[in-house]
Amino acid sequence: MLNFTLRRLFAVIPTILVLIVFSFYLMRLAPGGPFTSERPLPPAVMANVLERYGMDEPLHVQLWSYIKNIVLYFDFGPSFSQKDRTVNDVIAQGFPVTLTYGFWSAIFVLVCGVPLGIIAALRHNGFWDYTMTGLAIFSQIFPNFVLAPLMVLLFTLSWGLLPGGGWNGGQWQYIVMPAIALGTSYMAGVARLTRGSMLEVLNSPFIRTARAKGLPERTIIIRHALKPALLPTLTYMGPVFVYMITGSVFIDVFFSTGGIGQDFIDGAYSRDYSILLGLAILYSLLTFALTLMLDLLYAWIDPKVRSSMG
Amino acid sequence: MRDTQTNTAPLLSVRDLSVRFRTGDGLVHAVNNVSFDIDVGEKLAVVGESGSGKSQIALAIMGLLAKNGEASGKIMFDGRDLLHLPLGELNKIRARQIGIIFQDPMSSLNPYMTIERQLAEIVELHEGASRRDARKRALEVMDAVQIPDARARLDAYPHEFSGGMRQRIVIAMALMCNPRLILADEPTTALDVTVQAQIMKLLGDIQRDMGTAVVLITHDLGVVAGFCDETLVLYGGCIMEQAPTLSIFDAPGHPYTRGLLRAVPNIEDPAASLAAIPGSPPSQRKPPAACPFAPRCVDAVDACHLTLPDLDGDGSKRACLRPVEVLT
Amino acid sequence: MTSASRRLKSREFADAAAEEMITSRSFWADARGRFLRNRMAVFSVFMLLCLVVFALFGHTIAVWNYEEIDWAVLGQVKTEGGPSLENGHWFGVDELGRDLYARVVQGTRTSLMVGFVAGPLSVMLGALIGAMAGYFGGRFDQTVMGLYTIWISIPYIIFFVVWQAFFGRSLTQMIIVIIIVNWTAGLLIVRGQVMMLKNREFVDAARMLGMSDMAIIFKHLMPNVLWVVVIYTSLVIPEVIMAESLVSFLGVGIQEPNTSWGALISEGARTMTFGTLWQLAFPAMFFVIAQVSLFYIGDGLRDALDPKER
Repeated sequence: MLNFTLRRLFAVIPTILVLIVFSFYLMRLAPGGPFTSERPLPPAVMANVLERYGMDEPLHVQLWSYIKNIVLYFDFGPSFSQKDRTVNDVIAQGFPVTLTYGFWSAIFVLVCGVPLGIIAALRHNGFWDYTMTGLAIFSQIFPNFVLAPLMVLLFTLSWGLLPGGGWNGGQWQYIVMPAIALGTSYMAGVARLTRGSMLEVLNSPFIRTARAKGLPERTIIIRHALKPALLPTLTYMGPVFVYMITGSVFIDVFFSTGGIGQDFIDGAYSRDYSILLGLAILYSLLTFALTLMLDLLYAWIDPKVRSSMG
Repeated sequence: MRDTQTNTAPLLSVRDLSVRFRTGDGLVHAVNNVSFDIDVGEKLAVVGESGSGKSQIALAIMGLLAKNGEASGKIMFDGRDLLHLPLGELNKIRARQIGIIFQDPMSSLNPYMTIERQLAEIVELHEGASRRDARKRALEVMDAVQIPDARARLDAYPHEFSGGMRQRIVIAMALMCNPRLILADEPTTALDVTVQAQIMKLLGDIQRDMGTAVVLITHDLGVVAGFCDETLVLYGGCIMEQAPTLSIFDAPGHPYTRGLLRAVPNIEDPAASLAAIPGSPPSQRKPPAACPFAPRCVDAVDACHLTLPDLDGDGSKRACLRPVEVLT
Repeated sequence: MTSASRRLKSREFADAAAEEMITSRSFWADARGRFLRNRMAVFSVFMLLCLVVFALFGHTIAVWNYEEIDWAVLGQVKTEGGPSLENGHWFGVDELGRDLYARVVQGTRTSLMVGFVAGPLSVMLGALIGAMAGYFGGRFDQTVMGLYTIWISIPYIIFFVVWQAFFGRSLTQMIIVIIIVNWTAGLLIVRGQVMMLKNREFVDAARMLGMSDMAIIFKHLMPNVLWVVVIYTSLVIPEVIMAESLVSFLGVGIQEPNTSWGALISEGARTMTFGTLWQLAFPAMFFVIAQVSLFYIGDGLRDALDPKER
């Protein structure tokens, strides 16, 4: 297990380093830096500014310190556009928000999607099966950026049940809509996938073996079918997390949660490269961490993978 | 057929069993009006090509037909008709009274459970055994099917075993509750020839020691030869011939049986050419109105294409208008 | 050389053998028959054609230009700016007093253009790389697969935002970045198909005739995986439209005064609270119609083409 983890890490670390180096050069070589966009500064002031951000040194020296700061201190440097604010400040402020509703959204995806898929499979061609098919089409047609306005229209503007945005220290009323708007289409995806794999497993020879043992249907499903049926769902959660991160940028912007998505977009607007790339690296780290976690979980569950890891 | 000899009821009595499947292209008649009996401790072989419906008979007995399948007729076991038993009652008979050995040991075992769990859960369920006793029983049975170093391998997963070992585990599964009848559905097909022989010997030993009745379902006449008392030859879902195994080999009565025997390689006369039966298996879209083998039968006369003969004869019965001995 | 063996070694034979695979005329004819029998799919094609006609010729019947501001209603959009036949604002006006009908025509044009240009191009790129990876195997294949794994674990929003921040916002940049982000579309399945096909006789025959590797890929392998490419394209187009809409919603996509469905939905959602619901309803309606149509067309194509579905 340890071996496997280390091997995965060895694959991830160079990727992240390449990403950082690439980001760094992109940032420095890009047309129009953060200080050139307005009126040209007097050379003396410019030199001063450059020195303040350590940009007067040769590129490779800058790169080295950029990497060193990220790797050793997890420090992404100062913001270009916001005085007295570092990228780390932005992360410290916004990241917990995004993670919080993201976490609840993932819970929503799994807690609703998996049982719905299982029920749809067990009641093949029944009410729940059709409900789920409907939901799957619905979620394809109403992606989060159409669903979220609709939800606000209904729950906030029409019925006044939930606040239409903001965070307010993370009270539950403020989490509900972001979490559901973010998760619905993936919930439908998880349900559809779980249904498919459950149906396949229920038709497999080893389930027939379990029936031949005289086990009651419920035992067969819980003890024999659930685990193999959920493994594909687990694999699917990797891409789901990646997509949810994209979705979270939208949620942060639309619901004004104060999460890092808003800073990310603002960084693009104001060409604040250090925020932009710092957050891009953070997002990548997050997906790598989540996928690694999923891989480990998968390996831990599947005895075949577990034993092949040595 | 045995009821002429004794008056005691047979262990399992199948009467007019038909199995149909609803498919996208309409009904498929997989098994047609099949009847046979098995006595306590008897060994019966059901032989036929793939698609002859032989596996479906075993699945129908266990109530394990695919969802689109439907069985009619009677399957009497212990005075009860298995086809009309509620699932809860049927579950008490499965594994406990009738064990089944499936043909593909690779996919018949749950890849995510240890061998011990898959074996032990059977006695836990049917005999209310404690976890410890169930584990002990699992070990016993694994020893009985000669899995080397069984104690150390109890907690292994199926993929850690070879094909032959997995087939032994599948057999062990069928033996857990000492059932009175074992349905062995192609137990050796997926295995190497040498392993096949070992498995058949093992089955024979167990059968002798425990007095279990066995229905051996196979396409391989060679496997049947040394094993079964009685053989039933199936073609197109219909019984073609039913006879003591020895007489099947000595004097096949049905042209189809004869064809089957000619298709088996003969060690004593390797020069003799293997005769494939010309033509292809029958379409099963309609219930047979005539002998299903007639289109491929070299001896067929016009009547063969029009009538479905009854299973007829003493000791060895065949469903044929022009049985082999009449021709010679 | 006998005439038979000469025939076997002729180019015509290699071509014919390749033809005889699934590219055979009857395959596509059968598929067309199956597709045309699917009423929902045929109706969806009709709806999509209506949208295309709307996008191409809708402006000819517009009273207003999409950039023009109607000063008569500006400032009282809520009361005067609703849909009306009298002042020629059939869909009402937007927050800046611009004709929404003309803007929806323009947005439809942009969104469909992005979808139908970037979608097929990215699948073609993915299919080509996939075919080459499958055909050549070895180190090239390993590199492609490694890149693929990393690529799909990076949230696509990062590419959009960073790219747009560095290279500016325009329709062309949008299409380029979409193609770059989606180069993985269809890659895996085409690679698998090619790996399966490359050992067939007709490829050996072509190789013996001295055809170059690329010629074999283009002339013999690609036609045989065309059905995969078609199915994938039908799946990628709605995804691309959705991605474009999402980033435009976030304001990092298409730039004003040009617009797209996502940008229009975004504006509509922002002004929802003022009660100008038509600003959300019309763009959302067009978006939903397009997504529903594309969903059923994709479904129909999959049923018609995928051998597994038959």
